[in-house]
Amino acid sequence: MIDRREALRRTALALAGILAGCKARRTPAAAWRPRALDSDQAELLATIAEHILPETDTPGARAVGVHQFIDALVAESYGAEERQRFLAGLAALDGRAFLARPAGEQLALLRELDRAGDPFFRSLKELTLVGYYTSEIGATRELHHAPVPGRYDGCVPLAQIGRTWAV
Amino acid sequence: MILKDEPYDAIVVGSGITGGWAAKELCERGLRTLVIERGRHVEHGKDYVTEFLQPWQLAHRGRGEQELYQRDYPIQSHNYAFGETTRHFFVSDREHPYVTPDDKPFRWIRGYQLGGRSLIWGRACWRWSDLDFTANARDGHGVDWPIRYADLAPFYDHVERFVGVSGERLGLPHLPDGEFLPPWQMNCAESVVKRGLERAFPGRHMTLTRVANLTQAHLGRGPCQARNQCARGCSFSGYFSSLSATLPAAQKTGRLTVITDAIVHSVIYDERRDRATGVRVIDAKTQATREYFGRIVFLCASTLGTAQILLNSKSPRFTTGLANSSGEVGHNLMDHISKAGARGVVPGLEDKYVYGRRPTGTYIPRFRNLGVRGEAKVGFLRGYGVQAGAGREGWSRGADEPGLGVELKQRLREPGSWQFSLQGYGECLPRHENFADLDPARTDPAGMPLLRVHCAWSDNERAIREDVKTQGAQMLEAAGCRNVVTYDDDGPPGFSVHEMGTARMGKDPKTSVLNAYNQAHDVPNLFVTDGACMASSSCVNPSLTYMAITVRAVDHAVSELQRRNL
Repeated sequence: MIDRREALRRTALALAGILAGCKARRTPAAAWRPRALDSDQAELLATIAEHILPETDTPGARAVGVHQFIDALVAESYGAEERQRFLAGLAALDGRAFLARPAGEQLALLRELDRAGDPFFRSLKELTLVGYYTSEIGATRELHHAPVPGRYDGCVPLAQIGRTWAV
Repeated sequence: MILKDEPYDAIVVGSGITGGWAAKELCERGLRTLVIERGRHVEHGKDYVTEFLQPWQLAHRGRGEQELYQRDYPIQSHNYAFGETTRHFFVSDREHPYVTPDDKPFRWIRGYQLGGRSLIWGRACWRWSDLDFTANARDGHGVDWPIRYADLAPFYDHVERFVGVSGERLGLPHLPDGEFLPPWQMNCAESVVKRGLERAFPGRHMTLTRVANLTQAHLGRGPCQARNQCARGCSFSGYFSSLSATLPAAQKTGRLTVITDAIVHSVIYDERRDRATGVRVIDAKTQATREYFGRIVFLCASTLGTAQILLNSKSPRFTTGLANSSGEVGHNLMDHISKAGARGVVPGLEDKYVYGRRPTGTYIPRFRNLGVRGEAKVGFLRGYGVQAGAGREGWSRGADEPGLGVELKQRLREPGSWQFSLQGYGECLPRHENFADLDPARTDPAGMPLLRVHCAWSDNERAIREDVKTQGAQMLEAAGCRNVVTYDDDGPPGFSVHEMGTARMGKDPKTSVLNAYNQAHDVPNLFVTDGACMASSSCVNPSLTYMAITVRAVDHAVSELQRRNL
């Protein structure tokens, strides 16, 4: 059995590991190779994800590698049928033509799909949100994260927390 | 290969919530005790391998591996606590099969490891009352309990003092108060709903769930760190489990021996002496069989695990399974109905939020069929309690709402509206036709006869479900919630993980398996103290009652040993 001090030490180590591991593991964009997607599809996905959650005063979806998360999910988690459905949905977007348009037109097109409740776009949007807000930047810079809160306070001013809790 | 080990004073089968308690009490009363666990060894702290992982460190960010889940965990993956960070504390359904008829699904949620499901339990701790212990006698379903609340009350005290149960005293006769640590707090929205529903429905209450998460340090454990990730395991010992609490206490006596990866095949019965003399085990790794001997045997292998062992312990005297002269072993299987209720939005409070992640919710105690003057007549027997809680929507709401770009990102920076959700947990009647038995031909990979489970809800449980929904919606509306809707998700038996009843206690050996002290009517040195022993199901979570019953049974067993009656 470990005592509280030991548990706290482990928390500290784990947090340090997160920071160190993250730097070490972050693949330079050039070195990353998609597994479920081809490179055109990956670029299309990164572009769409960035439109959904763009860079503002914090980095956007592309910078945190949302497309890499989605590629990993489709390659490792999805069954063959689900993977085929995802790739077919992506193919239907006609990526080459989409990427050739100016950014403003891209965004307008995506807004249209979003407003119409297009099921494939909505699923891309959901995956983008998951990938972004569970990333370290999404959880700790865009939102607020407390790995070990230590206590529960059921009614505090929102201003005191400031942002949505990541978890 | 047959190895004969020294005879132990006591053998405990299973290391979950009741096995841990049996081990602690037996060891502390001076008995050299062997605990046999079918799953792997888990070391408290060290083996909680996902405990400190943050979302971005999970390979699939909590989304898990869908294809793997469908193939290997089609049942376990339905459990709310199952996921990328907890999968290793659930069994593989593929490796540990059981069968059900096509039209009667039963979701058996299991954790085969040292500590069993005490690592992944929901931690709610409610005392049962005489409304529960007299229920069978009053309406004629099942057999009368051979005990009443007064028999268990001192053992509830004993258990709560050690566990560390946080909660609020309510003074309700049908949900007796206990020895509590300070309760968790309600959040702002829950306080609003509490006031509204208590005003609209005099006699109904909303309280914090009484829960085995330590709101303050207790016996060297905790306090709980408000992470709400309990099922990953907790190095802070912030919640009660066999690994955080009972097994270390047993270990401290120097009288405990634990073996893991040992699947109990059957209890060995000596016809000449009319006693259980030990157990036969199958080594989970080598398939070799061994025997262990002891003066008394406690079965704490879970409701269905214990039934499987008893049914598989056949001898010339007990041709249909040990201690089964009544024919009731395996029968009267119950669970609670759940996964039906109501949801709504609590308006306002936009400037309020929470700090920390409370590891439990709120609770509306049973308000139906209490036997009080002037209460509403309803079209069902027994009752239900309601688990509830509120929280502000987080970033995931963005997936369901239109909008994208800078505007979406800014919007999700702030939490959404306060959502209130509730679900009923309803009592299930004991019925002979809900049962488990052994497949006569097929075995599981370990060589145990395959367990077959035949269990379905009756009209009474369905009627409770309907009342949960209408009452749930009415309470939320009366409390000022908006957009109130009811829901009713697929919930076959087993899903609430409150399965019980397969070796019931009773007064008559002809209709029950165990006596008032959990001693088998047929075999005096054989005790069953897990959920199998329950004669009815109440509507409140059963674990605390299993624990109290276990301590009481040990107390009796030890004094009977001293009197040389066993």
